[in-house]
Amino acid sequence: MITAGEVIERIKKNLGVPWRDTTYRDTFKFGGPETVVTGIATTVFCSFDLVRRASAAGLNMIIPHEATYWSDRDDVAMVSGDALYKTKVDFMRERNIVVFRIHDHMHAQRPDFTYVGLARELGLTQYETAPGSHRFVVPDTTLGALAAQMTKQSGARALRVVGDPNAKVSRIQLGVGYASPPIHNAEVDVVVSGEQQEADGGLDSPAYVLDAATLGMAKGWIMLGHAISEEPGMHEMAQWIKGFVPEVPVQLVRAGEPFWAPK
Amino acid sequence: MAACTTEEVARPTMSTLSRREFTVFATSAAVAPFAARRLSAASISVQDAIDRIKKQIGVEWKSETVDGLKAGDPAMAVTGIVTTSIATLAVLQQAVKAGANLVVTAHPTFYSRGDARTPPAGRGGGAAASDAVFTAKDAFVTKNNVAIFRVSDHWRLRQPNPAAQSIATAMGWTKASNNDVTRFEIPAVSLDALASDVKKRLNVRGGIRIIGDPQLRVQRVGLLPGSTPLAAALKLLPEVDAIVAGEVREWESVEYARDQVTEKQKKALILVGRIVSEEAGMAACATWLKTFVPEVAVRHIAAGDPYWRPA
Repeated sequence: MITAGEVIERIKKNLGVPWRDTTYRDTFKFGGPETVVTGIATTVFCSFDLVRRASAAGLNMIIPHEATYWSDRDDVAMVSGDALYKTKVDFMRERNIVVFRIHDHMHAQRPDFTYVGLARELGLTQYETAPGSHRFVVPDTTLGALAAQMTKQSGARALRVVGDPNAKVSRIQLGVGYASPPIHNAEVDVVVSGEQQEADGGLDSPAYVLDAATLGMAKGWIMLGHAISEEPGMHEMAQWIKGFVPEVPVQLVRAGEPFWAPK
Repeated sequence: MAACTTEEVARPTMSTLSRREFTVFATSAAVAPFAARRLSAASISVQDAIDRIKKQIGVEWKSETVDGLKAGDPAMAVTGIVTTSIATLAVLQQAVKAGANLVVTAHPTFYSRGDARTPPAGRGGGAAASDAVFTAKDAFVTKNNVAIFRVSDHWRLRQPNPAAQSIATAMGWTKASNNDVTRFEIPAVSLDALASDVKKRLNVRGGIRIIGDPQLRVQRVGLLPGSTPLAAALKLLPEVDAIVAGEVREWESVEYARDQVTEKQKKALILVGRIVSEEAGMAACATWLKTFVPEVAVRHIAAGDPYWRPA
């Protein structure tokens, strides 16, 4: 028998970086340390559908990378009046679910599993210039061909691309989640990332790629979507936890891409 | 753009123009509307146009705002105005080609909220001066004397919301609920058909992304153009079948909509992208500008959907 609290203690012990208690992200979002764990599901988003599937599979501890209650701070006060919040919480209570988010410490860990998993999923691993550089030089291709290949590799239905499909590219910088590498780095042809603010951000903007394309420069941006970009690494996370939590099954249960696209 | 009406062309009266100027004015107006306006350009400066916008916008001008002049000399005579959702280099090129030298944009021109014309040093692995895109865009703006005015904060505060109203107009929706132009009753349609219609009418390419059952019957539609936080979806989605939005965060409204769908709440979210979602509104902005800047031609140039998707 193992409790959720014991699982978390083992995670903290094996992390390789000090645990920061100041994190508001990496905390219990439902249930508590005393909950007895029957199995662990790692996932990118603690979506309701995911919770139902994990529970049906006998996994009552969920370790999501992202939020449970639709905001980064999991601000319960903001949503507690919403009928959907009550339904979700009632379900989790009935099924004895415990949710502990791991975000900040996953990105602080080395290697950062989100990058490892995404590179693996996209078939990029062998092309990384140096471990942890998140920089890949692939055989010469076009932005269009690269985007088509990544669509196939990831199974994405609603991936988005900015730039000239015919642009000749080979140097890729990988980003995950909401952390996009600088698009204006002259050493980078294509940024492949998760989610990006479309305008009014700090600096990086899809408009930069539009203008680069107008100038005939080889520049591209492949936006996979937040879930697509960070879900694969939750498999690495599951494998890692399995190594020090042998008592219960541990596996990735995909929240999956939320979108579809019309023809 | 619409051809110049006689009234617009004739506005600079004979007394303000010599006979020779008038002949040139009248002749060229028929073939090159913007160029024709140059002769009367002395009648309005960039600053005049901005002052009129501030006066007409209907909301008090904020001291802290992203809106304002991003490039160009305020004293320069305006030859023509172009409105757009975002002043990409392609839009600026088209504007200059058409003879316009004042571009009114809803989004930043230089890739960030700060709209600085040079990149900050130390980012992107290179020195600030080495950025070819910033340099080329800045050089184009300088060389062609283009003035760029951003109107965003104040535009969206106008009532009724111009971006939402314009999307509804483009979609052919007329039945606003309680005169609220962010909510419409439409003839029942499947989500799949609605998504295709939105894609077509708002000129979306790869930027469109949907959450919800394609067979869902939609009758009540909510509109959230631009970029909106979770609070907006929390308020609107329970009261409509589907929301058509510009940009939302994927860990906020996207997940909320996904959970609504899981709970069989018969809900849907259609994302078209922030830039596309404000394009129809900026077309309406051109129409609005015409009403109080009659001296020069005003037209809208669509920046287009930045995104495409592999087949």
